[in-house]
Amino acid sequence: MSTLSDFLVQRTVAFEARLRAWGHVARFASAAARGMVSPATYNSATREVIARQIYFTAWQILGGYTAFAAVLSLVVTQILAATARDFGLYDYALEFTFRLLVLEIVPLLTALFVALRTGAAISTEVSIMRIRNETGAMERLGIDPMKLELIPRVIGGTVSVLSLTVVGVVVSVLCAHFVVTGFRPWHAPSADLQLVVAKVFDGLSMTLLWGKALLFGLAVTVIPIAEAINAPRQVFYAPIAVLHGMVRLFFVIMLIEVGALVLRYVV
Amino acid sequence: MLGSAKAPLHLVADASAREALLATQPEAALVAESLPMRANLSMLENVALVAQFRRDLSFDAAAALVERLLERAGYADSALRRDPDLDREERFVAKFLRAALMAAPIIIVDRPALLLPDIPPALFLDRLLTRLADDYDTCWIVDYAWNASLYAPRPD
Repeated sequence: MSTLSDFLVQRTVAFEARLRAWGHVARFASAAARGMVSPATYNSATREVIARQIYFTAWQILGGYTAFAAVLSLVVTQILAATARDFGLYDYALEFTFRLLVLEIVPLLTALFVALRTGAAISTEVSIMRIRNETGAMERLGIDPMKLELIPRVIGGTVSVLSLTVVGVVVSVLCAHFVVTGFRPWHAPSADLQLVVAKVFDGLSMTLLWGKALLFGLAVTVIPIAEAINAPRQVFYAPIAVLHGMVRLFFVIMLIEVGALVLRYVV
Repeated sequence: MLGSAKAPLHLVADASAREALLATQPEAALVAESLPMRANLSMLENVALVAQFRRDLSFDAAAALVERLLERAGYADSALRRDPDLDREERFVAKFLRAALMAAPIIIVDRPALLLPDIPPALFLDRLLTRLADDYDTCWIVDYAWNASLYAPRPD
């Protein structure tokens, strides 16, 4: 009996801790959103941090990311086109590819790519800043760390995810067209491509695609930062904060993706 | 300079007396071991941040101001090194300049012997405070009474 009650107490405590952590994420997201729209946030120092964040998150990896998007698009399109041909549906191959690759896989993988590369780095850096009391030192100097270090990272990370998604979408559309036309796009009637693009990228799809990309961008910065600023200021908690942040981030990214799919195909 | 009205020395009996003394000057700019610099920024960027935030200067204007201060302090060569690459004296100078740029009526240097354990702090402080005399109003030196010998006058 006592074992069962101990188990229930443990689960309740763990559940409360999870709720608190989500509460921290929501509070930081709300503070960051207020800060992002406030002109008082922006000065030469914060603009510098935003530019640096975009440089490290998007510009530095642009070449590799574009190559990755191209290879992935070529491979996935080839698989989809071959499958469509087997079922006698080759006329729909381009539409299949756009719906699966361009609207779903590319934005999702972009978010995961940035989350792994930048989300983990931001979480570690903010944890170390707090542990070393760099944020406390800034406050004592009259510098708001929220304005200088946290909000610019959210802005820079979000802009980066949106920019990389634009690059990924354009590259995957071009690669899909290239494969489906038998690597001879100049022989295919351009009206075919225009028709499929108009059909797949309608208002709802575009709204969902960019709404999803915006939420991905916010998630990959807000969640790791919220986890880091609420972790205890002990060195051994830094990896735990990164771990919790990344797991929570993965869950949220998947939730956004599933939510977008439900809105597009179920509701 | 050290021990004058512009740079008085406050020797306190213990930690609680030190905290009580610091609490009397909540608006003072503090130079302390507990207030580190941003590890991934250079000495110049760390100091310039204060000017960018508190004086709303562009980075170029703030950097020019900090370069002049570093030149005056005799540490211009250290400007582009990051915090982990600085020695204790360079780090102290950066922290002091951050405090000076706050334009607070008082700068408090909290336990110089803790910040500068490898050199006689009095000689170093005296030289730095003299060089930067135009850039601060008053600078309190706060340390424990048992370190009094570190601040005793020394023959040249």
